[in-house]
Parts: sequence; structure tokens; C-alpha cells
Amino acid sequence: MAEARVRRHREVNVHHGTPWPFVIALGAAVGYVGLLVSMPMLVLGVLVFAVGAIGWLRDDVHTVPKPFYGVGAALESRLPQVSARKLAVWLFLATEVMFFSAIIGASWTLRFRTSTPTNPWAYSGQILNVPGTAFVTFILICSSLTMVEALAAIERGDQKRLRIFLLATMLLGITFLAFQANEFYHLYFADGLTFSSAPYGVNPLYGPTFFAQTGTHGAHVTAGVLALAYLNIKAWKGGLTKENHETVELIGLYWHFVDVVWIFLFTLVYLI
Amino acid sequence: MSTAAEAATAIPVAAPAETAHKRPYVYVFIALAVITAIEVYVAGLSYLANLDRISILVLMATTKASLVAAYYMHLKYEPRWIMLIPFGALALVFVLVAALTAAAGTVPTTPLP
Repeated sequence: MAEARVRRHREVNVHHGTPWPFVIALGAAVGYVGLLVSMPMLVLGVLVFAVGAIGWLRDDVHTVPKPFYGVGAALESRLPQVSARKLAVWLFLATEVMFFSAIIGASWTLRFRTSTPTNPWAYSGQILNVPGTAFVTFILICSSLTMVEALAAIERGDQKRLRIFLLATMLLGITFLAFQANEFYHLYFADGLTFSSAPYGVNPLYGPTFFAQTGTHGAHVTAGVLALAYLNIKAWKGGLTKENHETVELIGLYWHFVDVVWIFLFTLVYLI
Repeated sequence: MSTAAEAATAIPVAAPAETAHKRPYVYVFIALAVITAIEVYVAGLSYLANLDRISILVLMATTKASLVAAYYMHLKYEPRWIMLIPFGALALVFVLVAALTAAAGTVPTTPLP
């Protein structure tokens, strides 16, 4: 009897995945309300979110990806050749396109409306370090190559190259973040580009729009590095196989998207 | 822990392994790096009119983004209908940019010294 219950419990676990996403969603909801209402509630939300994320990682990191059922299966049957999870990632990326468009659009509107000959926007290279940023743009492009090579490796079942390329991608992402942190520090404390002022008589709105655009992108790179850390651990634990490795492709899609956003930000913020 | 039942219901991978290694990932990487270098060069050309320089730079950025989306994000190898998702978002972006540009009227940028 007890054995049958255990077997049923295992079957339930196999077919219904994990409850931790609900904990994460609860934490996010409490956290967002806390952001508006009170600091203790925000802290509580962040803690619940962290517990959910850790619980999910503990559940997931040793296992190969499982197929989805229910809504996911229905979507897969209606839209053949693209899995429900990949479709969901593309929909998420579409919302991200709108998110970044709003931030970049707002920044350019401020530039259009407030830039005058006596209160100008900075020209390319006046305040920002263009050669250095071009170098980290190259770093980010390299990380896109290593990410896609990691996927190609596991498609062949090559575990060794998968691990090397995933590690390289994460390290390149960390390099980008380190450069950006250093750049922010110098701009803010040494060059006087703050949220309310700018050097060389440049329009004071230049600072906040710069930090909003590049900072939001940096937060996305940070999320990508965390996702890559998870993927690295999963790869080392043997959780990715030639047959089941969709997670690599999905996190790769996000990573390449972050690269695409930077391609535009580099041009719109640093070069123009 | 993977079971035989799970393996049987595994999600099929879109890209067959035998074609994956033939994809031109390295060529795309070289193109991206070269275009980035040209971008930095063009950004410093003070004899170009502002609007010309901006147009060239945005065109190059769009080319780079298209290369990443087509090859690294595998849009070139996916079923065509999935492009409706990013292009749907881009259509809305176009409306946003058109509205903002129409409202502003001009493109005020500071000329290079």
C-alpha cells in the first residue's frame, strides 16, 4: 500500500513538474506590491522569490528537461515544429522588444525636446569611452558565438565542448558587466555625469537617459549571467543530453536578444 | 532522474544534428566584428552630415541585429510563422518611432567638433 503511494507520488512528480514557479510568482507579486507600499513587504517578497528560485534549481539541476503537458501540449499540436517553451520564450522576447523600445523612445524624445545649442546633447566620444565600449561590444559578440557553439556542441552530444563554451559565455558576460560597472563608477564619481548633472555644459538629461538605457540592459545581462551559471551547473551535473537540451537553446535565445539590444544601444547611445 | 517514459516523450529538437555543424556561425561572427569596427570609424567622420551619419550607423546596427536574429537565434532555420512574433513587436516599435519622430519634427544632434 505504502509502496503504491510512493510510486503514485513519483508518477505525479514526473508528470506535473515542480510547484516552485508558483512560489516564485507569489514572491514577485508580494515584492512588487511591497515596492509601492512598504519596505518590509518588499524584503519578504524578495525572500519568498529567492526561496522559490533555489527550490526550483534544486529540483531541476540534476534532471534532463521534461516535456510540457496541458496547455503546452495543446500549443505544440496546433503549431507544429516549434515547442511550446520556445514559443513562450519568443513571446517573452516580443514583450522585451516593447520594453526596451519604450526606454529608448523616452530617451530620444527627451533628446528631441530639450536639446538646444546652449544646452546640447553630448557628441560621440565627448563624455563616453567609445573605443573601450567598442571592445566590450566585441566581447558580447564573442559571447554570442560561444553560446551558439555550445548549442551546436550538445546537438552533436559533445559534452566537453558544451561545458567549455558555456563557461566561456558566462565569463565573457561577466567581463562585460565588470567593464560596465567600472564605466558607471568613473562616469559618476570622476567625470561628474550623474542623474541630475553633466560635465562640459552638456544637457543635464543626458546622464539619466544614459544610465536608464545602459543600466536596464546591464540588469538584463546580469539575469543572463545568472541563467548561464545555472546552465553551467546543469551541464557539469550531466543534466543536458543530445536528446534533451532545449534549455540551452532557450537561454541562448535570451542571451542573443540581449546582444541585439546592445547592438542598437551602442549605436544610439555611444555613436550618435 | 530520467526514465524510459520521459525519453519516449522527449521534446523533439528543431535542428537535426547533422546540419547544425554546417551553419556559418564563425562567418557571422567575423561579419559582426568587422561591421562594429566600421561603425566606430564612421561615427568619427566629422565631414558627414549628421543625418547621413545617423542613417548609415542605424543601417549597420540593423544589419548586425538581423544577422544575430537570423543565424544565432535560428530564425532562418525555424518555421516562417514564428517570425510573426518578433515582426509583430517591431511593427509596434515602428509606430512608436514614427509617432515620436513626427512629434519632434527634426533630429537635433550635436555636430562633431
